[in-house]
Amino acid sequence: MSGRDPRNGPENRAEKASQKERAIAEALAEYVDRLSREEAVDIEAFCKATPELEKELRPLLESLTEMDGPPSSFPYEPAQEEGEELPDNLSGHKILGEIGAGGMGRVLLGFDERLGRKVAIKTLNRRYRDNESVRTRFMQEARALAQLSHPNIVRIFSLGQPGETPHFVMELVEGSSLVEAGRALTLGQKAELLQKVALAVDFLHAHQILHRDLKPTNILVGPDLEPKILDFGLAQHLESDGRRMTRPGEIMGTPDYFSPEHTVPGSRFDPRSDVFSLGAVLYEVLTGSPPFHAESFAEQVRQIREEAPILPRRRNPEVPGELQDICLKALEKKPENRYASAREMADDLERFLAGEKVHAAPTTYSSLMSGKVEQHLRELEGWREDQVVSEFEYDALRKDYGRLIERDDAWILNARRLSLPQVSLYLGAWIVTVGAALLFLFRFIDLSGTLAVVAVSGVAGLMAYHGVRLWKSGQLRIGIAYLLAFCLLLPIAFLVAFGEYHIFAKPAANLDWELLGRISKTFKQTTNAQIWWAVFISLPAYVWLRRFTRSSVFSLVLAVMTAWLCIVTLLRMGLLEWLDTDPGKFYFRLIFVALLFFVSAFAIERARLPNDSRYFYPFAVVFTFVALSGLAAVHQPYQEWLERTFPWTRGQIEYLFIINAAIYLVLQAVCERFSSAQMRAVAKAFRFAVPGHVLTSLLFLGLEATQRWYRHRDDLLMKREARTFEILVPVMACAFVYGSIRKQMKNYFVVGMIFLAIGLVRLQQDIFKQQSRWPIELLILGALLMVSATRYAAIKMAVARLVRRRV
Amino acid sequence: MGSQTSTYDFVERFKRGDTEAFSLVFRKYQRRLSVLVHYKMSAELRGAMEVEDVLQEVFLAAARDMHQFTYQSPGSLMAWLSRIADHVIVDAARYQNRDKRRAEELLRFRSESNPTGPEPVDSETPSRLFAREETAKNVLKKLDALPAEYREMIVLAKFEGLSTKEISERMGKSRESVALLLHRALKRFRELEATTGSS
Repeated sequence: MSGRDPRNGPENRAEKASQKERAIAEALAEYVDRLSREEAVDIEAFCKATPELEKELRPLLESLTEMDGPPSSFPYEPAQEEGEELPDNLSGHKILGEIGAGGMGRVLLGFDERLGRKVAIKTLNRRYRDNESVRTRFMQEARALAQLSHPNIVRIFSLGQPGETPHFVMELVEGSSLVEAGRALTLGQKAELLQKVALAVDFLHAHQILHRDLKPTNILVGPDLEPKILDFGLAQHLESDGRRMTRPGEIMGTPDYFSPEHTVPGSRFDPRSDVFSLGAVLYEVLTGSPPFHAESFAEQVRQIREEAPILPRRRNPEVPGELQDICLKALEKKPENRYASAREMADDLERFLAGEKVHAAPTTYSSLMSGKVEQHLRELEGWREDQVVSEFEYDALRKDYGRLIERDDAWILNARRLSLPQVSLYLGAWIVTVGAALLFLFRFIDLSGTLAVVAVSGVAGLMAYHGVRLWKSGQLRIGIAYLLAFCLLLPIAFLVAFGEYHIFAKPAANLDWELLGRISKTFKQTTNAQIWWAVFISLPAYVWLRRFTRSSVFSLVLAVMTAWLCIVTLLRMGLLEWLDTDPGKFYFRLIFVALLFFVSAFAIERARLPNDSRYFYPFAVVFTFVALSGLAAVHQPYQEWLERTFPWTRGQIEYLFIINAAIYLVLQAVCERFSSAQMRAVAKAFRFAVPGHVLTSLLFLGLEATQRWYRHRDDLLMKREARTFEILVPVMACAFVYGSIRKQMKNYFVVGMIFLAIGLVRLQQDIFKQQSRWPIELLILGALLMVSATRYAAIKMAVARLVRRRV
Repeated sequence: MGSQTSTYDFVERFKRGDTEAFSLVFRKYQRRLSVLVHYKMSAELRGAMEVEDVLQEVFLAAARDMHQFTYQSPGSLMAWLSRIADHVIVDAARYQNRDKRRAEELLRFRSESNPTGPEPVDSETPSRLFAREETAKNVLKKLDALPAEYREMIVLAKFEGLSTKEISERMGKSRESVALLLHRALKRFRELEATTGSS
């Protein structure tokens, strides 16, 4: 587009226009004005009015007219289809009348006199007959459809002869539309009908034909309750030739069954668009009205694109939840969320009919809930601002709401549900795993060498292949079982291969270090190194599965396997020997494993994968607990250090546990400083352990001190020590009870209460032996506490006044 | 030919529920509207979707909202369709930007994830009006070759069907200079015709 050449610039030459040019321009303007009023202006006559300009004016006007293109391809005259006479006879069929008319042509009722049966004959409208390519395709399509033979798809009998009006003869289906027929049927019968339709649509898809105009009026149901699909594909295929002249007329009646992609210019159709229409038909059959319907077209398009349909159960409470699931799954906005094929929808309908659990897990529910819950959350925010709820209530409610809309995919929830097929699926996966494990655990004479490797890796490969395929086809729950089985089989396959080909087979320097040999001598020799490498090489597969499926379950697998890898690493360093001689060594190294998990969990959470990091934190916390408790219980140097530094502790491990409690307290304070929600949950876990550790230790210390004192009655120091602990237990218990307030730690409260009771009993047994003074005192103390609690505000004010007066 | 009354008749017939009438309206305006839509769309949008699909949507919207349309004068239906086209294009552009649609993952049919699957029958992109029709293609080619100002004149006068007065209001020029511009535009168009026509 060049254009702005100064010499030819449109504007600057305007002034220099000649008189004649002005006259021509004026005439042209008049012509254009008449055109704008949609007048049909005859150029000949128009030019005659100003003969002096004709020579120049005529070509311009002709150019304008020629822009319309050849008149034949763009008929202004309405084609008089209505007036067309019915032919008497078409390919030997007597024409009895007209059944219906569409944009493409008419459907006539014919009678085959030789066979004595009625037929339907579809003809092509006259205005398309001259269009060679439309006609050819009309015939080609009919020919393609004639190849299909399916009980639920209308059959084509014959094609018109070349000399005749283009037409084809098909089976005459006498029946009513699906919705009409559905009114008298039970839910089961409706589901069965739809299942048949879905199978027939799948059959079309298998023959690479998209229907694209499924609607109840295109599905007729005969008295035998067999549905028949009509009008498939034809109009659409023809349309892709040249102009879509028929579209508006045809389409107007049925935007009710449009898929969202149908409403977006330029988007492609695929089998899932037909699935959507099937969903819309099912919806109407179940509820009596189509899922989306609005007065204006724009509004309807908006609804189809953006709004979730009203739940079928709201419209008809008799619709079972399972059918609702199927319906909503088919009506998902995004094609990838729908059934991947009509066959899958049919399978789910079959499951419903068989009384099994359907696979559909529509995302509609979660978006429905999250929409409402988010609204509540905003309200909640307001309640907190207005102090309708306390901070703690706010936090608790938020958490509960959060749990409702947690991005836990619906399929996971379903996978957790125990049903017969579900349990069998996982049981099968587990049996496969154990069976494979036997191959590396034991030696088999008739199944050894490459044969064993091929067997195990073959099964693993099959699981992976099948799992990925199932996953891709949207059967997530089943796919995940296969993929999980693969996760377990992978290291086993490596182990079998290592064992058979003697890779990493050199045992550790000390044979006692080998785990499997230690467990049982009957096992085939498998070295720790082999286990280590088998797990290590498998880790990338888990990472890949996590990325491929975007499912955090594989992070759990990764976490478990990493933990196992850490343990095997320790095994290779001599874990088994340590356990025999100095277990403290093991517990000490466990601290580093715990640290490793903390760091990786934190890194994963920072990488915005909170669903994955939540599997790593528990490992970190558990390893910390085990390591510190183990150290306190069995680590000699730790104990010796305590005895050396604080001789009065006598190195008793209860003191070490109290130190551990202090460490947890520090850890929780540290963890709490992080902004991450999961880190704060970790802090809570550490905090949780504190009262149990402290109070149990104090109790045991007290019991021991008392016994020691009983053995040496005159030792006053021992007596004081025993008494100290006796008093310390109830005092600390009270401290924990009150300590529960700040962080709302209910376990502080409960544990404190229990130990308070124990402490009070111990006091009665020992200090107040035989004295009724003690229970009486307790009764009075308790009652006083209760009264003061009821008069708390008044007492507080009184105390405040007293303090002020003093000042 | 009496097309004044026919447009009015079509509208009225359509409002009474005659769907065939709409097809006729559609056919009557389809071509003009498609050129108009072609030039209303940004180059980027043109790359992303077919003129035909926009057109399709325009007529769908028109079909549904026809009851809101009141026939005022012979040109008013075209003006109304043109306004709808503006909305559809804006809407489509917004939708296109918001949701760059991922390549479809066909499971049964051929796709990246399923390279061995069969090709769907209608995988051919929606028909291209201009590509199929030689004359239309030529017209577009020549319009594209014109200076922008000339091209706009022809599009407004011929395809949007505005009167010279309406054009002068829209362009902020006198009616006389609009007439002159149009004259020169057509002359240049004619010249192009002579050069391209021979080849």
